[in-house]
Amino acid sequence: MNLPYHPAKKEDLHHLGIEQVDESSMKERTLDLLDEFRKFARSFSVMLETCTRCGACAKACHSYLGTDDFNNLPAARAGLLRSIFARYFTWSGRLFRGFAGAREFDADTLDTWASYFYQCTVCRRCAVYCPCGIDTGEIVLAGRNILLRMGIAPSFLVTIGRNELQTGNNSGILKPAIIDSCSFLEDELRDETGIDIRIPVDKPHTEVLFLPSSSELFTNVETLLGAAKVFHILGVDWTLSSVMLEAANYGLHFDVEILKKHDRRMRTAAAAVGARHVILGECGHGWRAARMYAEGANGPVPFHLEHVLDYVAKRLPELNLTRLPLRATLHDSCNYGRGTGLLDSPRQIVKACVEEFVEMSPNRERNFCCGGGSGLLMDEMHDLRMQFGKMKARQIQALQPLDYVAAPCASCKAQLPLVLKHYGMGATVCGGVMDLVGKALVMEEMKAP
Amino acid sequence: MAYLKVNGKLVELNEDGFLVHPEEWSEDVARAYGALVNIAEFTDNHWRVIYYLRDYYERFRIAPMIRKLCKDTGLALKEIEDLFPPGPAKGACKVAGLPKPAGCL
Repeated sequence: MNLPYHPAKKEDLHHLGIEQVDESSMKERTLDLLDEFRKFARSFSVMLETCTRCGACAKACHSYLGTDDFNNLPAARAGLLRSIFARYFTWSGRLFRGFAGAREFDADTLDTWASYFYQCTVCRRCAVYCPCGIDTGEIVLAGRNILLRMGIAPSFLVTIGRNELQTGNNSGILKPAIIDSCSFLEDELRDETGIDIRIPVDKPHTEVLFLPSSSELFTNVETLLGAAKVFHILGVDWTLSSVMLEAANYGLHFDVEILKKHDRRMRTAAAAVGARHVILGECGHGWRAARMYAEGANGPVPFHLEHVLDYVAKRLPELNLTRLPLRATLHDSCNYGRGTGLLDSPRQIVKACVEEFVEMSPNRERNFCCGGGSGLLMDEMHDLRMQFGKMKARQIQALQPLDYVAAPCASCKAQLPLVLKHYGMGATVCGGVMDLVGKALVMEEMKAP
Repeated sequence: MAYLKVNGKLVELNEDGFLVHPEEWSEDVARAYGALVNIAEFTDNHWRVIYYLRDYYERFRIAPMIRKLCKDTGLALKEIEDLFPPGPAKGACKVAGLPKPAGCL
């Protein structure tokens, strides 16, 4: 297989309970799974039956515009699966074969799926422009789920999936390291502000469970520090959880089973500390997974689920913010802009924190993806990802000179600095929205002179 | 399968270039990695970062936060990036024989 990523090995797949399927039974097994998925998600078969090949999606897709690869055109990408679906599950395809857009399952089928379903970031911009409302992202995710059950998935995703199942976070951080990191950050906050600002872990009988994004205890600590300061000033009774340290749920990207299990883990984590209010941090896909799939996955959510940016926007009048001398823009994470409608809160907050706020064009639900979403942050895809980031770079270029791109999602935060550097905009800094709040916030009990 | 040649012996690497068997790490392994990314000579600062990472990993089974690594070694992020290109996670952790940090990085 000629794949743009390192495929997971047999023994790694075992951690997810996956057995690789024999070459000889691949066709039969794939068609069984396709049948299972079309019955599981009616929307999936409707979208497979609907495309008129009008091509409106071509101009909408950053992956196609960046790579110029025909199979990255959303209708063509979905067509890789649609043609097989047509051949085996529609009367016209069974009867008229190629004339009805049907294609036989052959040795190339899974290769092309495995390659091109992982060159889509599931940003769903094509769905905004499709006159039929086809969400190619849904087709891609179904395709990835089918591939995984066949034993085909990127090693990057399988490692993270395993870490989530075993430790509740992407990196595999265990409780002693969480405590060590948080007490270090408390020291940092004390040095900076002179105030004892707590970052509690597993504090019992707590009102709010906070789930920051992946990497806030590794690279993006400023985002977590911003949240800690705000919670302190507002007097919020909050805690992190070692059961589930992060909002991330990589199941959304490739495995419905992990999605469900990890959602259950969120409920366990909230119950363990008695939280009736769960606030998710700056994690795009994690917010979409929780906001849009939690109830479908495991029934009614027994707590108030809220995004940290909605929470902070609501309490903005209570915060004493000074405007930072920055010209800044907001990158709408796809999972906010198109996935969950989280559009106004981040704008409201950034505007309150900087001297000059400028909008990208297009923006909100028409914003272009950073090019690193849906679990494509593996190093070996770096060059492709820079191509996926071409449209984003163009959007940011138009705003230069620019100091700051606020990107409230850990994937975007990992991808955008690389894009900025690659396209010659290394002087523009990328960070979170809560980072800005943390820096703009005037702490009431400032350090004595 | 990729290998790193260390004193005439082959050390097995995974697809990301990290050690398959972390117990095979030695200062010579670090130097062999260094040669691959044009680290001409290992200075005290190199070893300080390497042993800090190894000690932290030994205690916590994970790489330290980058900010903590900088603070405790007294080196700025830029300095660590220059010492171990491309940076702490994918450069220094590899040379120090830690597993590749996973997550949205």
